[in-house]
Amino acid sequence: MVTQGHLDQTDLKKVVSQKRFQGLVGLLQGNYRAYAAAAFSLAISALCRSGVYLLLAYFVDDVLGKPNFQTQVPLVALGFLGLALVQGIFTYASGTLSGRTGERVARRLRNYLYDQLQRLSFGFHDRTKTGELIQKVTSDVDAVRRFIAQESIEFGRIISLFLVNFGLLLYINTRLAWLSIICVPITVGMSVFFFGRISKAYEAFQNQDGALSAVLQENLSGVRVVKAFARQRYEIDKFEKENWSKYLLGRKLLMWHSTFWPISDIITGAQMLYGFYLGAQMTVAGILTLGDFIAYVSVLAWLLWPIRNLGRVIVQMSQGLVSFDRVASIIKEEREPLDDGDYQPAGKPRGELVFDNVSFEYESGQPVLSNISFRAEPGQVIALLGSTGSGKTSLVSLLPRFYDYTSGQILLDGVELKRYSRRYLRENIGIVLQEPFLFSRSIRENIRYSVADSMPDSDIEQAARAAAVHEVITTFPKQYETMVGERGVTLSGGQKQRITLARTLLKNPAILILDDATSSVDTETEAEIRAALKRLMENRTTFLIAHRIQSVMLADLILVFDQGKIVQQGKHEELLAQDGIYRKVFDIQTMIEEEVQREVASATGQD
Amino acid sequence: MEDYNEFQEEEFSTKFNGRTIQRILSLLKPHWPWVLGFLVAISVVSGLDSYFTYLNKRIIDEGVAMRDMSVVFELMKPYAALLLVQAAAVFAFIWLTGVLGERVRYDLRKKMFEHLQNLSLSYYNRTPVGWIISRVTSDSDRVAELVTWGMLDTTWGIMNIITAMYFMAIINWKLALIVFACIPVLIVVASWFQKKIIKEYREVRKINSRITGAYNENITGVRVVKSLGREVANLDEFSGTTGEMYKAGFRAAWLSALFLPVVQIITAISLGSIIWYGGIQTEFGGMTLGGIQAFIAYMTFMLFPIQEMARVYAELQHAVASAERIFSMIDAVPTVIDLPGAKDPGTIKGDIVFENVRFAYDDAPDEAVLSDFNLHVKQGENIALVGPTGGGKSTIVNLICRFFEPTQGRILIGGTDYKDFTLHGIQSRIGVVLQTPHLFSGTIRENIRYGRLDASDAEVEEAAKLAGAHRFIEDLDGGYSGQVGEGGNLLSVGQKQLISLARAVLANPEFFVMDEATSSVDTLTEALIQQGMETMMKDRTSFIIAHRLSTIKRADRILVIEGGQIAEMGSHSQLMRQKGHYYNLYTQQFREELTGKQDPFLTGRPATAS
Repeated sequence: MVTQGHLDQTDLKKVVSQKRFQGLVGLLQGNYRAYAAAAFSLAISALCRSGVYLLLAYFVDDVLGKPNFQTQVPLVALGFLGLALVQGIFTYASGTLSGRTGERVARRLRNYLYDQLQRLSFGFHDRTKTGELIQKVTSDVDAVRRFIAQESIEFGRIISLFLVNFGLLLYINTRLAWLSIICVPITVGMSVFFFGRISKAYEAFQNQDGALSAVLQENLSGVRVVKAFARQRYEIDKFEKENWSKYLLGRKLLMWHSTFWPISDIITGAQMLYGFYLGAQMTVAGILTLGDFIAYVSVLAWLLWPIRNLGRVIVQMSQGLVSFDRVASIIKEEREPLDDGDYQPAGKPRGELVFDNVSFEYESGQPVLSNISFRAEPGQVIALLGSTGSGKTSLVSLLPRFYDYTSGQILLDGVELKRYSRRYLRENIGIVLQEPFLFSRSIRENIRYSVADSMPDSDIEQAARAAAVHEVITTFPKQYETMVGERGVTLSGGQKQRITLARTLLKNPAILILDDATSSVDTETEAEIRAALKRLMENRTTFLIAHRIQSVMLADLILVFDQGKIVQQGKHEELLAQDGIYRKVFDIQTMIEEEVQREVASATGQD
Repeated sequence: MEDYNEFQEEEFSTKFNGRTIQRILSLLKPHWPWVLGFLVAISVVSGLDSYFTYLNKRIIDEGVAMRDMSVVFELMKPYAALLLVQAAAVFAFIWLTGVLGERVRYDLRKKMFEHLQNLSLSYYNRTPVGWIISRVTSDSDRVAELVTWGMLDTTWGIMNIITAMYFMAIINWKLALIVFACIPVLIVVASWFQKKIIKEYREVRKINSRITGAYNENITGVRVVKSLGREVANLDEFSGTTGEMYKAGFRAAWLSALFLPVVQIITAISLGSIIWYGGIQTEFGGMTLGGIQAFIAYMTFMLFPIQEMARVYAELQHAVASAERIFSMIDAVPTVIDLPGAKDPGTIKGDIVFENVRFAYDDAPDEAVLSDFNLHVKQGENIALVGPTGGGKSTIVNLICRFFEPTQGRILIGGTDYKDFTLHGIQSRIGVVLQTPHLFSGTIRENIRYGRLDASDAEVEEAAKLAGAHRFIEDLDGGYSGQVGEGGNLLSVGQKQLISLARAVLANPEFFVMDEATSSVDTLTEALIQQGMETMMKDRTSFIIAHRLSTIKRADRILVIEGGQIAEMGSHSQLMRQKGHYYNLYTQQFREELTGKQDPFLTGRPATAS
């Protein structure tokens, strides 16, 4: 296991909120020394490489053909080996240190982002597309990692090779040195220009790839339609069009590459030849020694050729910066403070809830709930009845403080809800959603999801029994270890819902929210689920969202919603006695039963 | 797509298969001049590289060391000329190899796509779409990469080493032998490293897909996570996964960082040996200054070809595995095909007869979905199929459309076994509307025209009118030219169904099949759909998998399908009187439909998004 140490304590939010450059540097926190050492190692290894050529010059000028030749040669040979060794060690050090820094920074970013995502408000998740988020937390994080571990290092390598070798050229001969880098600005400029174009062409190529995949995807998922209309030829032509256009864009991209490299070859080659010529002239004239000339020839190559890659690295780095900005945009979002709240009771709440003139809006000026007032005693069942969008779900979302109400007051056991911490509320409120959500892990882990891992298996099975799902689970070959989700068994809606019921039972909340929990359930198991629900509702203040009268008839209090307002409230009998929506709904349902009887009679009677 | 990576990794074969390699190479056959071109170009490039080093040596020894500028000048002339030649060759090899690579990709995709169009539904039933997509995209990439850049790099490497060895031998064959001795060592070391590095990268990719999965689950399940207060435990688990990622990523970086120095040190050892060995001989064993310089240059640059060749070698087996998967797809034989001598029936009007039909899927031949099924449908009759999910309704429809063929027994159209007809002859005369209507990205007009490609705009509109789709299309932004989005996702289910009805109307089929949507659509759309269906059913034999009472009641005959057999059959009133399955099904359905229609919450006002 890699130690997390102080690394994970870093508040990345503070770091990335600074200016872009400072933010990037800040990401390295805890790795400054390693990264600096990587940069330092780069320079050392570049120095050693050039040192080889200095040694060569010494060998040529002062050893070869001199009287001390025989004794000096082994030393020179060892010198070559030694330099290579030192160079190797530092190349290795630079690669491994920068690699480690990149991986560490990436890991910290990944962990932070993961935590960030589960701690951002519902508001954030409501307005953000999953696909975009995933893109940012995966590809963009990887781009930042490459920026740190590879691209910056490559940039440093090119620059340090240039500086060290140019220094060496200056040492050999100043005039020659300056005349040897005439082409460098041209090469750099050209490289930057070409790689700018190449990255644009590449983008077009990638987009076309996306278009091609879309056609393929649609064809495969619509295979029945294609066959039903016998449209194979048409589909082939459609694919051919996109396929061919991708080929053409690929050619365009290659045109840029195949132009850039030979042109830069010619420019660099011409510079090399010019340098050779000048160097040779100076040597013949006696300005340079023969050893200097030989060193010069090699050093020049190490100076000129890497420069050509500068444009590529710069383009990659600028893309890395864009990725950094995108990652930073998520990190900058405000987290939901889980522990804020000055009232922290020791035990569970009793579950008495009072809504006093509560109003709520997601966006100002568009009230979702207005002037909601009612009272729920501990253990009571409160039913919420109303059409989609009438505010029922918004109301129950206020209880765990997924959203905070805009005005009015909610009192839990006599204390204002906003004084409780979100953590406390969520620990004590159980929610069963219309669409049961299970995680891709075993059934046991799914039931145990909200409680400590130390919870004994017997408790888990007991919860499963109470939720009427134990029997089903034992029919699976792997029983409680059965995997759920993509790589596991396919569970029916009812089975999934009962597992979430077991999960909620195990959590043992004082307040329960059932958001249309039986609507996605098949009729065969509805009775079992109702029984399980009944057990779950015992001794808990329960909020029940429903569409049908039958589900709400027995509630202690029924709230009828319309357009964010409570239009009627009371018990079943009271509401029936009133003239209003509730009675209308009831009448319709009674009428339907009569209608069914009539229909049956007419169908069976007629001949 | 990441999800399928694991799938891919598991069935990865490690053994080389000569036949597969031959088949991979045969992909290049139609483009052999290109292959020849890039091989020549890269040989020129690498040969000249070695020759330039040799020219440098001569410039030093014959010109500079002799203090003779005229020789330097003379030698530089061919040098400059050859630089231009080399630049031309560089252009040629990048262009030829790159374009050829794109071409091979294009060919592979085309071949796979065309083959996919012919494969039967049974292939699609057992093969996940994502898996097929990976074959067409990433596997074709890998194979194309191997036969172009892989081959180029290998040729470059071999040529580089051979020419460098040649010039070294010319300069000083005794010292060259020392260098030759270290080449095998370099090759072994380089291959070992590349294999390890690639293995780590695959590991990184695998963990990466797990990380993506974890993010995905955390985002889509964020409401549950929050309400269950699971944040801390989740982060702990996730941190374990990123820890593995860190380790694998670091190992890959570590190996890459170690690789170059190790190879360089091996080179340096042989360089040191040369100087040592040369040094203990008189006059440096006949070695000149330029010679030493050239040896250093040759050896320093020799590690790059070796590195490249090792990389290609390490990639080779993955590419071969990719190719095997591609070929397995191309070799898959469609199970439903035209029999020899099959002919176009001209019309498929006539009675349809199921004769002792049995059907089982390939992967479970013992579990008959349909057994001993007999049915006689008269020309023009409207049949409604009802019954529980998995009872066999869709199978009956799939058999009629000949998406599948009976495992036993026969299906006769107008008295002839339909296997004596061509697939196209049957399917082009059937109109199908699916339960989850599939539309293709593009305009509404294009989607309707899918039914008959040569239809005029007026005919498209006429079909839409008959299908009851015209009115809503007119109301949409852009009307018939409005985009439907990917898979039609800009439209509601009901609207998609109307368009697919219009598509079927335009095709003017002789036989109509529809799988009604189970999900509720608003009352108005529902009425329009009913109108469209009525148009289609008039004077046509039709099979409807029915969920709506009005559809069921309108049918000439109702079939209750359960457990692969006809449980009840007859008209609505006959079946009601039996008080059996149909009776239960109907009353329950009737109640639900009424509830849906009468619910003041649902119909009072168009529902606003919550």
